[in-house]
Amino acid sequence: MVPSFCGTCLSRLRPTPRVLPSLTSAPRAAPFHTTAVLSSVLMKKKNRDAPAKKYRERTAFRMKKKRHVERPRPPPAGERQALRKRIVLSNPNALEVKDMKDLSADTMIEARLRGSVLGLPMPMLDQLRASGAFKPHQGWAIFRRPGTVMRSETLEMGKNFHEITSEGAGKGKVFKRIISGVRASGKTVHLLQAMTMAFAKKWVVFTVPEAQDLVIGHTTYTPISGTNPTLYAQADATAALLSRVINSNRDVLSGLTVSREHPSLRSTVKPGMKLTELATVGTTDRAIAWTVFQALWTELTATSPAPSLEKHFQPRPPILVTVDGLAHWMKNTEYRTPEFQPIHAHDLAFVNHFLSLLKPGFEKPSLPNGGALVYALSTSNKPSVYALDVALKQLEARQAGVDPKSPEFPQPDPYANADIRVIDALNVPKPKDAKEGALEVQTLGGLTREETRGYMEYFARSGIMREKVSEESVSEKWTLAAGGVIGELEKLGKRVRVAA
Amino acid sequence: MPPRLNLFTARKAVPIIRQPSIHNSVLNRPQIGLTCLNKRYNSSDPKSGNQNPKSSTPSGPTQDPLPHVSEEAAAMEKIMGEKKCDGTPASPELEQGTPVSEILQRDEEAKKHMPKVMQDQVRNSPPSGSRSFSTYTRFAQEMQKQNSAGASGSADPSVELVANMITDVSNQAAEKQGLKFPAPESLPASENFRERYDSVLKLFTNMIMKSGKLTRAQRNMDTILDHLRTAPAPQPNPRRRLISTPNYAALPLNPVQYLNVIVNSVAPLLKIKSYSGLAGGGRALAVPEPLRLPQRRRLAIKWIIDASQKRRDSKLANRVAQEIVAVAEGRSSVWDRREQLHKIAMGCRANIALVEIRSKTRR
Repeated sequence: MVPSFCGTCLSRLRPTPRVLPSLTSAPRAAPFHTTAVLSSVLMKKKNRDAPAKKYRERTAFRMKKKRHVERPRPPPAGERQALRKRIVLSNPNALEVKDMKDLSADTMIEARLRGSVLGLPMPMLDQLRASGAFKPHQGWAIFRRPGTVMRSETLEMGKNFHEITSEGAGKGKVFKRIISGVRASGKTVHLLQAMTMAFAKKWVVFTVPEAQDLVIGHTTYTPISGTNPTLYAQADATAALLSRVINSNRDVLSGLTVSREHPSLRSTVKPGMKLTELATVGTTDRAIAWTVFQALWTELTATSPAPSLEKHFQPRPPILVTVDGLAHWMKNTEYRTPEFQPIHAHDLAFVNHFLSLLKPGFEKPSLPNGGALVYALSTSNKPSVYALDVALKQLEARQAGVDPKSPEFPQPDPYANADIRVIDALNVPKPKDAKEGALEVQTLGGLTREETRGYMEYFARSGIMREKVSEESVSEKWTLAAGGVIGELEKLGKRVRVAA
Repeated sequence: MPPRLNLFTARKAVPIIRQPSIHNSVLNRPQIGLTCLNKRYNSSDPKSGNQNPKSSTPSGPTQDPLPHVSEEAAAMEKIMGEKKCDGTPASPELEQGTPVSEILQRDEEAKKHMPKVMQDQVRNSPPSGSRSFSTYTRFAQEMQKQNSAGASGSADPSVELVANMITDVSNQAAEKQGLKFPAPESLPASENFRERYDSVLKLFTNMIMKSGKLTRAQRNMDTILDHLRTAPAPQPNPRRRLISTPNYAALPLNPVQYLNVIVNSVAPLLKIKSYSGLAGGGRALAVPEPLRLPQRRRLAIKWIIDASQKRRDSKLANRVAQEIVAVAEGRSSVWDRREQLHKIAMGCRANIALVEIRSKTRR
């Protein structure tokens, strides 16, 4: 209770004013304290958390509406993919490497050039682009112009190509390679070098830049009637192949003419037609693309003219076939049969055709005019196929001279359910024709130290690596790159070192 | 009244009188290896020289001389606190009198009338700072010992053995001047994995990072550097030159340096801090304050990233890279921002004085 007088000076405090002051009370003298005792009204504590509710307002929890944030519109369809797949082959800021030689028919056999970087010929870049030789993220974009190292494997390939074309014992030979190796060891660039050499030698080049594209169910497929087991043709993929062949081999193909009757294409294809025109038939009418491809293949592998059509025959050039990412062709595809059974990749006519080339041809070589099959495995995009691993080991054993009947010969684990078709596809008997080489596995490792030095000098001369190229620095980089793995060397060359 | 004793001065003066013969005897000695002596027994600090005898470490019989009788008595009295009620000192030593030396010490007038013997002694005393005892005896003894040993050739054989061993080892060390493998040159800073990235690059990468995803930020930074490497070299803008860049065409060849130049060029020199109540009446006043280098860089990077967000490219890396090129060409709004900040700082630089005045009055 509030005391009625002041505790300090003992004077009486004013009482609380009544509601009705009594009229009778006489006015008193003002007391010392003028403050009313209970004048302060206790302020009600405001509840700040919950705002006061209005009448009949709902009490349930309401989510705040998100404010619309203005964002830039997404790019039009296809632009992102185009950006992702864009291939830039030149960096105008990089220094031009003086007296850099081109990879040509002369330089590809020159052993002195081992370890040096040779430029890809500028007029050939369009052909290489058309055949899908370049891939994004290969590091072409940091140099003034694309160039590749002449490593020992490249020079060996150049020598083989030279033999096949030149007049001699090796003329018209066929060599078949499966390129394997660790990640970033230059398998795809090896294919690119093969294509460059083939273009330089005026061969016809068939390329499959991405084997995966044929088996992931992204292109149309139709069963081919009259085949047992049923084969499936892929019209769009075949048309794309034909357009690659036309664009990259226009000069060679326009010099060759149709030299035999093609009964299935009787209405559109006539003898004497240029082979480019023949291929264009397939790209315009996709329904007959596979038939056109077969006709084109027949024409290119012809060794002699059909009777009575001699005037239309010119000798056919050798053929180079490259496939990248071979492992994708060794398993079931995403396609289905009408019974909804998965289709094996070997049942696709396209795949089947190129895999059958690995086997020695019946009576004459699989490429009768000579040429090369260079099929590369991929390590960054690789399905795990047990049968393929075994088949490659078997190939290597056969290459090393191990008898297939001996116990040392690698056999698939009987319980691992290995795909017999894959093992059979690579189980290639020794060819009877002397001109046809046996299928081999070539493993790409790292560069040697000398080659590494040449490669690092190329970086330094392009102004990208700002370091002295000495024996120590080369050796250091070679070691850091897991023994000269070229993709790792590229990273080290690009890396900017901070000066102390 | 008891005499007040100055212990320090007394200690200095008294021994001079007590040990009169030492100093003179030094001069009469044969001068054998005097420089060597100084080197060996004087102060270890060559700078201080022979000035401070206390810093040297004397050793020998006179190392710690006992204080004078009266000093001792005074100290004793101080410790015991003994004093008679009439104020006279308790001990007889103090009561009976003060030694002459002490009187002379404090009384300049008395010094003049000192007996001649004492005056001569004072005049011949060594300068202040020299040792009160001789170190010559010991040295001379050792020299004598060595000489006699050398003359007779019958020294301790173990000493000779050790000496031989030392010379052998030193000879071997002299032969092995070169190392088996050449010593490494100073490694670049980036060879240390903690410092592998340039400081600006690291700061920039960290500032692009969102939600702690450093790897994504690094990938973006890689794209930015690739863009800088491949995009055409920037056109110099005469109004907005980049610092220390004579050759714009060479910038793309070293993208890290490119980035450094950009960030350092647009980095503001100061920030504006507002002090409330500085002008009186609660009004806030803007006061420019200098920034440290990392702060300056951080602000520049923040501005660049902010400005890049207005660009209409879907990829962050492209937006930032384009903004960097725009800065290089003087097109970016970052330059305006910097200029405006510097202009404001120029306008309110007078307020720095107010801050100083306030800080003084607060103290």
